[in-house]
Amino acid sequence: MKKIVNFVKHTFKDIPKQGKEEIIQSVSESLIEKVEDLVEKGLSEQEAIDKAVLEFGTIEDYFVNFKKQEKKKKRKKTINHYKNDLLFSAVGSVIIISIIVFINLYYLPSTLWFVIPSIGILFWPLSILYNLLNKKENRKDEQDE
Amino acid sequence: MINSDIIRGHLESVILKLIIEKDMYGYEISNLITERTKNRFNIKEATLYSVVGRLQKKELIESYIGEKSHGGKRRYYKITALGRAYYNQKLSEWIELKKVLDALLEDRK
Repeated sequence: MKKIVNFVKHTFKDIPKQGKEEIIQSVSESLIEKVEDLVEKGLSEQEAIDKAVLEFGTIEDYFVNFKKQEKKKKRKKTINHYKNDLLFSAVGSVIIISIIVFINLYYLPSTLWFVIPSIGILFWPLSILYNLLNKKENRKDEQDE
Repeated sequence: MINSDIIRGHLESVILKLIIEKDMYGYEISNLITERTKNRFNIKEATLYSVVGRLQKKELIESYIGEKSHGGKRRYYKITALGRAYYNQKLSEWIELKKVLDALLEDRK
């Protein structure tokens, strides 16, 4: 039966840690049940193990069902992440630009040079906005499929 | 052999239905599926366990350790009230779908 446990451990070795032990335990338990059944039917233990392993399928068969949901969740998380980034960059650039404006008006009110660096700084939130919109567009596309 | 992509969405209902009939353990379910479909559809163990695990997480079925006649221990699955309700809903959805597809794909003369 150790062979079965090792096989299951090997099959699921790359999945995320969370829930891994549980999956390995329940899957190997069920497979061992199967082997015991097959042995009762008259197969030798080695044959039974081979059959069980052969018929098990692949890790894709196990995960294909709920991979999609997980992907969706992950994407939602990224979008939220980008929203936070956008807020942060917007607040940050407003603060920096107002400092520049203040310096400009305080020391050299005759030339309005603050416009030039401000444009540069504005690209910070703009690029993040671009990313966010891109991600949202992708999500829409996938929902349409 | 049926394309497993098509049947995938209905595996939950199939497994619930079998467990409603009587409490079963994992290998018994996969055996019954093969038997009833006369070998036209074989469920992969990997798929079966993942669906069962999910049903358990959703509390549609519960498991308990039962004795087998030959002394071995088995983890049996049992339907819950929630699972029964879910199955009935899925069943009426399926009947509806069947009607729709029949209406669309049937030969018209």
